[in-house]
Order: sequence, then C-alpha cells, then structure tokens
Amino acid sequence: MPFLECSGRRLRLSDEGFLVHARQWDDDVARLLARTAEGLAELTDDHWSVIRCIRRHYLARRRAPQVRAVCQETQLSLKRIYELFPSGPAKGACKVAGLPRPDGCV
Amino acid sequence: MCSDGRSPTLNLAVPSEVGMIYLDNAATSFPKPQQVYEFMDAFYRKTGVNPGRSGFDLCLVAGELVDETRELLSSLFGATDPSRVVFAANATDALNLAIFGLVGPGDHVVSTRLEHNSVVRPLWTLHEDAGVSVDWVSFDSRGYVDPQEVIGCLRPNTRAVVMNHASNVLGTVQDVAPVGRACRERGVHLILDASQTAGVVPVKLDALGADIICFTGHKGLMGPMGIGGMVVRENVEIRQTRAGGTGVRSAELRHLTDYPYRMEYGTPNLPGIAGLHAALTWLRHVGITEIHAHEMALWQTLRDGLAQLDGVTLHGQDPGQGGRIGVLSFNVDGFEAADVGTLLDVDANIACRTGLHCAPLLHGQLGTHRLHGSVRLSIGPFSNLGHIERAVAAVAEIVAMRRLTESRQA
Repeated sequence: MPFLECSGRRLRLSDEGFLVHARQWDDDVARLLARTAEGLAELTDDHWSVIRCIRRHYLARRRAPQVRAVCQETQLSLKRIYELFPSGPAKGACKVAGLPRPDGCV
Repeated sequence: MCSDGRSPTLNLAVPSEVGMIYLDNAATSFPKPQQVYEFMDAFYRKTGVNPGRSGFDLCLVAGELVDETRELLSSLFGATDPSRVVFAANATDALNLAIFGLVGPGDHVVSTRLEHNSVVRPLWTLHEDAGVSVDWVSFDSRGYVDPQEVIGCLRPNTRAVVMNHASNVLGTVQDVAPVGRACRERGVHLILDASQTAGVVPVKLDALGADIICFTGHKGLMGPMGIGGMVVRENVEIRQTRAGGTGVRSAELRHLTDYPYRMEYGTPNLPGIAGLHAALTWLRHVGITEIHAHEMALWQTLRDGLAQLDGVTLHGQDPGQGGRIGVLSFNVDGFEAADVGTLLDVDANIACRTGLHCAPLLHGQLGTHRLHGSVRLSIGPFSNLGHIERAVAAVAEIVAMRRLTESRQA
C-alpha cells in the first residue's frame, strides 16, 4: 500500500492515492496531495473554498457532497472546478480534501 | 418536435415533477406511466392482503390480479402455460434461480462477453466453487456475437447457454434464434437475459428457442422496481435452491415441485405485481412496436449528432447492422466517463449512467475499462426530440471545454 510522507508523518494511501484515514488530513496534507496527485504547485482561495466545502460536508455526513451543492456553496461553476482540479470534483478535489474515493460503478 | 415539448411520434407528456432530462432508462425507466403509480396505490390500499394465503374474498381478489399478471406475461413471452411464469425480485434474482438450479459440477456453459454481472457473477461463482467451465464468446466491432461462434462452443457436457438478448451497454440486439435452434437440437438449455428487451422488442420463447427467459419489471416493461421473474418452457425442470412458504399445501414438508410454486418462496411482492399489471396494460394500449419506433428515431438523431463531434468515440453504434434498442455508449477524449456524467448532470441537468455498467467483460474487450468505463445515454418512451438535441449540445460543450483547456496548456 502506498504512503505519503508529510511533516514527519507516514500516511497510508489507497492504491488510487486517496487518504485511507480521513482524520489524518490537515492543510499540509492537502497541499502535498494537491502537488503530488493533481500537479498543483499552489492552492488559491478558490481551491481552498472547494476543499473546505467538501471537507465540511464530509465531517457532517461521512460522505462527499453532491457536486451541485459544492457549486452552490462556493459560487463556482462546475467548469471552474474542473479548471481548479483537473481530475474533477470526485477524483481531484475529494482526494485533496482527504476523503476516501467515492464509490461508483467502476 | 411539437411546440409543447411532446415527442412527435408517441406524444407522451413528461410529468412536471420530473425536473430533468432523464436518459438513464436502461438502468430503470423513468417516469412510469401515470396509470402505474395510480393503480399500485389504489390496489394496495384496497386489496393489500396476502394473495392466495387466506380464504376470505379479498384474498381471492388479490390472487386474481397475480394470476392475471401471469397471463399477461405469458402472452407477452409466447408461453403456453401461465403457471410457468414465475415472479422474482428482478432479473438478477431470476437468473440466479435459473443458473444455480440448472448448472452443477462437471457442467460446461457458454456465455458471452456482453453479459451483465447478473450472469457473469453466478457463472464465475460456479466456475470457482463447483469447477464449472465457461466459454466467454467475444463480440465483433459492431457489438454483435456471432451465433455460429456460440454454437461452435457447444460440447457434449454443455448444460446451458446463458446470454443476453440486448447489451445494456451497446444496445445491440443479438441474433439469438440460431443459438436457440442449436440448443434445442442438442438438449442444451438456453437461458436468455431479457432485462433490456422485455417490453422493448418481441421476446418469444419458441421463436428464440429459449428454455428460460429472465426479465425485470422496472425497465422496458415500465413497472416498478422489485418485481421481475422468469418464464420457463414446459418440461424444463429447474432444481430448487431455496424452499419455504407457498401458501398452499402447507402439510407437505418438501417444497412443492409444480410451477409456479416450485420457484416462488414466501409472500409475493403484491404492490410490485400490481404495478407490473398496470404497466403491461399500458404497454398493450400504447404498443411495443410504436414505442420502439419512437425510441429508435431518437437514437438515430442522438447517434448522428454525437458522431459529428470530434473527440467523441461511439461504441458499437453502427446503424443498419442488426437489431437495436435505444442505448448509446460513448467516451469523450480527455475525460473519464464519470466526469462527463457529472458535467451532464450538473451543467445540463441530464441524467445518464457512467462507469462499467456492471459489464466488466464488455468493457475489458472494448478497452474502456482503462477509462473507468463509458458514458451511456438510454432512451425511453417519455424521451423526446428536445431531450436528444439538448444532450448532443451538452456533449458538444464538454468537447469544447477540453479543447479550451488544451489550448491554454499549449
């Protein structure tokens, strides 16, 4: 199983690069995941807006929010979210926000 | 298209509570005819008693509805004995009953790479747990299995051919009849998965040479979820893999062997059967042929529209090559299938299905498993030309979005 080295911690990742233990997430982990998984050298305010929205929903309900809800809360269009996270809201933004991979028909 | 948004051929109005363009009818048809909702509600409120279990009159009324629904299904599938229409929860449930009840250790089975997991997984389980050998026949570039190739796989110990009538990913209706003829000549059971074709195109036991047709009620048959079943040809005796209450002849400790009790266990899904009854009545009124013609006219428009878009790859969508249903599968260059689905959903309010569609062998053969599957748009009776035009335009926007991103990166 792959690991992520962050600030002296060794964090377990799934085979697809998602954090295995969501509680280990913090801003440093987000920056590192953004750089290594999404190729994002830095996170802008818009990035953080999406990340914190997803994180807030996840901590409240233990699942990723609907994409519509993220667009509504952040006032960002879905196209803009794809610009921010090239892998998209599920595989990109959720990963950087420290969520497990959303389950689906794949 | 008519000015009020109705389809030009079927003229079915989309209920106002359906607040989206729904193109996921291969997963479940939606909406259902209003009659289905109303009849289910009314029947279950007035007659929601256990059919055939007790002696009071209302129980007999409920039992009559169950019997009538068997008769409607028997007629639909060209069976001669309605008691050989068996209710189950869905097609997967019926396929499990049929496959595990007919195939055992030492047997050989022929199937195809088009199959849904409702066939793949039972056969895989039998392969791993009981040493059953399975030949998985590939499909050609158009999405069709060569019946001669299936026939060529038959061996002396072949117990069954299990194949779907139409692919739930490609929408290609398979040429089953030659396989059925060969199976009957050799005493091999043909188990047909009609999940995508029941209520969409003719599916008849003898015309196709099938011994068992498994169906679900909530797709082309336009009924509710939770009800499906199978039609079993006379003299085909499926081994019981379950046992339980039948409501009749309770003194017998062994589960009954006569149909339909042989394959039915416990209290039936009466509201589901009531909904299916209403749906079958609606289908008779509107006409399966008319619905299919409507859906195929829309499929042609959708297919032609998407085929013109650079960066869109259609899978098995060549027109005029054989039987089809209104199911279209594609990928957009530069996007995983799920992302296209998200963009269609959120930006265009279009519901579709993305991923592997429970058909891993099919996507393995197409190579689309590496893209995490494909995008599937599937048309239903309530789809109209406006829906299709908006879907084509929405995919065109997604293609343009990728181009914009690429040009910025260049």
